[in-house]
Amino acid sequence: MPTRNLPEKSEITVIGGGIVGVTIAHELAKRGEEVTVIEKRFIGSGSTFRCGTGIRQQFNDEANVQVMKRSVELWKRYSEEYGFPFSQTGYLFLLYDDEEVETFKRNIAIQNKFGVPTRLITPEEAKEIVPLLDISEVVAASWNPTDGKASPFHSTAAFALHAEEFGAKLVEYTEVKDFIIENGEIKGLKTSGGVIKTGIVINATNAWAKLINAMAGIRTKIPIEPYKHQAVITQPIKKGSVKPMVISFKYGHAYLTQTSHGGIIGGVGYELGPTYDLNPTYEFMREVSYYFTKIIPALRELLILRTWAGHYAKTPDSNPAIGKIEELSDYYIAAGFSGHGFMMAPAVAEMVSDLVTKGKTDLPVEWYDPYRFERGELRGQALQMG
Amino acid sequence: MRPLDLTEKDPSRRITIYFEGKPYEAYEGEKFPVAMLANGVYWLTTSTEGRKRGAFTFGPVPVKVNGVKNVNGRKLKLRDGMRIERQTYDEFQEQVEIDEDKPLLRYVVDVAVIGAGPAGLGVVEDIGGKLTVALIEEKDWLGGDMWLKGVEQEGFGNPREAIEKLTNFPENVRVFLKTTALGVFDKGEYFLVPAVRNDQLIEFMAKRVVLATGSVDSIMLFENNDYPGVFRRSDALEVINVWGVAPGRKVAVVGAFPEEITAELDRWGIDYIVVPNPKRVEGTDKVERLIDENGNVYEVDAVIMADGRIPDINPVTQTGGRLYFKRGYYRPVIDSNHRIRDGIYVAGSAVSIKPHHANYIEGKLVGAHILREFGFDAEPCIYEEKLKEYEPVARPIPKLPLEGLNAEDVQLCGCGVTLKKVDDVVRSGITDLQIIKRLTHLAMGFCQGRFCLFNGALLVSQRSGTPMDRLDIPVARPPIKNVKMKVVAGRE
Repeated sequence: MPTRNLPEKSEITVIGGGIVGVTIAHELAKRGEEVTVIEKRFIGSGSTFRCGTGIRQQFNDEANVQVMKRSVELWKRYSEEYGFPFSQTGYLFLLYDDEEVETFKRNIAIQNKFGVPTRLITPEEAKEIVPLLDISEVVAASWNPTDGKASPFHSTAAFALHAEEFGAKLVEYTEVKDFIIENGEIKGLKTSGGVIKTGIVINATNAWAKLINAMAGIRTKIPIEPYKHQAVITQPIKKGSVKPMVISFKYGHAYLTQTSHGGIIGGVGYELGPTYDLNPTYEFMREVSYYFTKIIPALRELLILRTWAGHYAKTPDSNPAIGKIEELSDYYIAAGFSGHGFMMAPAVAEMVSDLVTKGKTDLPVEWYDPYRFERGELRGQALQMG
Repeated sequence: MRPLDLTEKDPSRRITIYFEGKPYEAYEGEKFPVAMLANGVYWLTTSTEGRKRGAFTFGPVPVKVNGVKNVNGRKLKLRDGMRIERQTYDEFQEQVEIDEDKPLLRYVVDVAVIGAGPAGLGVVEDIGGKLTVALIEEKDWLGGDMWLKGVEQEGFGNPREAIEKLTNFPENVRVFLKTTALGVFDKGEYFLVPAVRNDQLIEFMAKRVVLATGSVDSIMLFENNDYPGVFRRSDALEVINVWGVAPGRKVAVVGAFPEEITAELDRWGIDYIVVPNPKRVEGTDKVERLIDENGNVYEVDAVIMADGRIPDINPVTQTGGRLYFKRGYYRPVIDSNHRIRDGIYVAGSAVSIKPHHANYIEGKLVGAHILREFGFDAEPCIYEEKLKEYEPVARPIPKLPLEGLNAEDVQLCGCGVTLKKVDDVVRSGITDLQIIKRLTHLAMGFCQGRFCLFNGALLVSQRSGTPMDRLDIPVARPPIKNVKMKVVAGRE
């Protein structure tokens, strides 16, 4: 069980107890490292428990496709080992004109190159997958049946539990206040729960990463800003009504699917910020209802149970910053996921653990080089929805 | 007269409806659950887990009406020849009519008062005539819980006569009945209160908002506490005093506050027994017997839960108010002007549980504070003094009967969350209500915790030894009441 008692020392300390911090701790502990996670509220409370649940490999660049392919393998493995809901029910991108189709054909070619079985299908095939869809304006769809979704609650809880079984410590309701640094070396952290001696720190605070970087005195420019995104859930309906994640760029950059509990969950590209405010807005409720009911008319008669907000911790190219920051020893960052943190987490945990324990990794971590912003080497915009 | 009618109904309004293919006598405009009750039919819908449900405890009441699925049976007003059938919660209408989006209505007022019980009416009595007011009431009557009472009320005398006196509104007070507020949102100088009436979206722009949103009846935990024939106190009062129908021929009253209903039962000569310690109800399609913790068996056909009320904290937390725990329930933290924050006031049993007249005085107190804010002379301290004469009700913190109950049959909430489901998580060592909520779906369904969160908190507190005031209580998110997507989907 997570505790509120900070240990005196830990070789490695992960700041931030979202899915990224928890899976990193899980992976490091599994490899026999001494690791502690410090979370200012409760595990998952930042962005993880507010996320849209989707897990996809349909990206538009080689690095993200490879990383997400690995991530899906890990999602599958751990959901079976630990028994939490993860289902490969696919991602269905609805396409409405030739230009969109051409773009997706290019994406599909990249995905196929790495063995992700995405293909272009007809509107009628899309309707077979989700009979509730309005396909009157759809010209094609990009379909990968191996994408999926997972319960953020049950998966994070399972990773946390097993991280602890491997010896990791999870400390909740404890806020990091300052770094203790001597001659460019991290010696410890001051927190609301006392001091912890530690030599290696991993900043996994995503939307709050810039605050921790500033606390550590990092001068390297790593622009990560918190944007408010919102989500909605409807009353539960018959299971299997909307199996895949359905995406429509035409209708508000919307994504929607059905949770394992039966409600229709999702969001649109209605972004506010940068801000740390998380109050849901009336405008979102209207936007999401307008777009969702265009995509699936039957939603008109369903009750909205709740809306809520979470952060997209965005970088200028919508790709995270993952790697070692050399101006301090030893300091790593894995943040700025721009709405993709939940889906990427298991692969990110592997990359970061490789870097910490071996100094290198087989996954294409260079793509997420934290120094790219300073060097002016932005990546192509990662495909983002919501 | 139908089997459970207490009063003669207007014969010119008599109609025939069909439920599950069988004809029943009903009255034009009568609520569907009331008509079925009058005919002795309690089971109206079925939960996703296959549990039979009526309309008087918790959980939604979706039914098929003339072939259309997922119609809210609780609010359904009957017309001649309607054909109604049971359905399960998860059935929905796959083919829908795309009706024209209704144009948005917008009203700009000085003050939006949400809730027209004695507190809301007290506010309006003070400020009406001086300020423009929108009085927003979800029910189709004014007077809130007091309208449901037949017996004399302290400070008011006859409740209906008192309400009639209070509802002679001046011209600048607009009343919106059957109108459900969806939340309160900040819009610079104004607050936006979106609301829905009969699938029509209404936006109220108000400089000040009063939450006179009242309380909810406490849900008691016993086996089959969701069974058709189990009543919340407020629903029992409504069927008796608004619709003239008895909850049953022989009724059991359970809970710590039986006097909140027994005087009304006496008035109508409804046969009842008081059973302080219910353990289980049983029956085929409805309650047929109640068994208490001592093993006594009572043959009854309805059970009324009268276990006290607690403030409805959802409007408060959605609006950004904070809570504290006192006298056995969570209540809003208010400043010396009775505000939960700048511009948002709270009055009545949304603040604390007390008699109707005390809520009315509290409404007048809030009205006086608002008048002062708008530059009028007013004396809040007079009402402040009067209000001190009333000590809010202290509700003893119930001891949940955790041993000796079949926790699988005890519904913590109407959305398929059993006592066992939550208790298993708590006993596995997870005692953070925020996590428990997400792992069990407690407080994440139709009522957003209105009826189940308190018992969830109680369970955690009792199992973990953490005092109630130390628990991290999840806040409500908009919409504070469910709304159909089509209502808010329109574009101007």
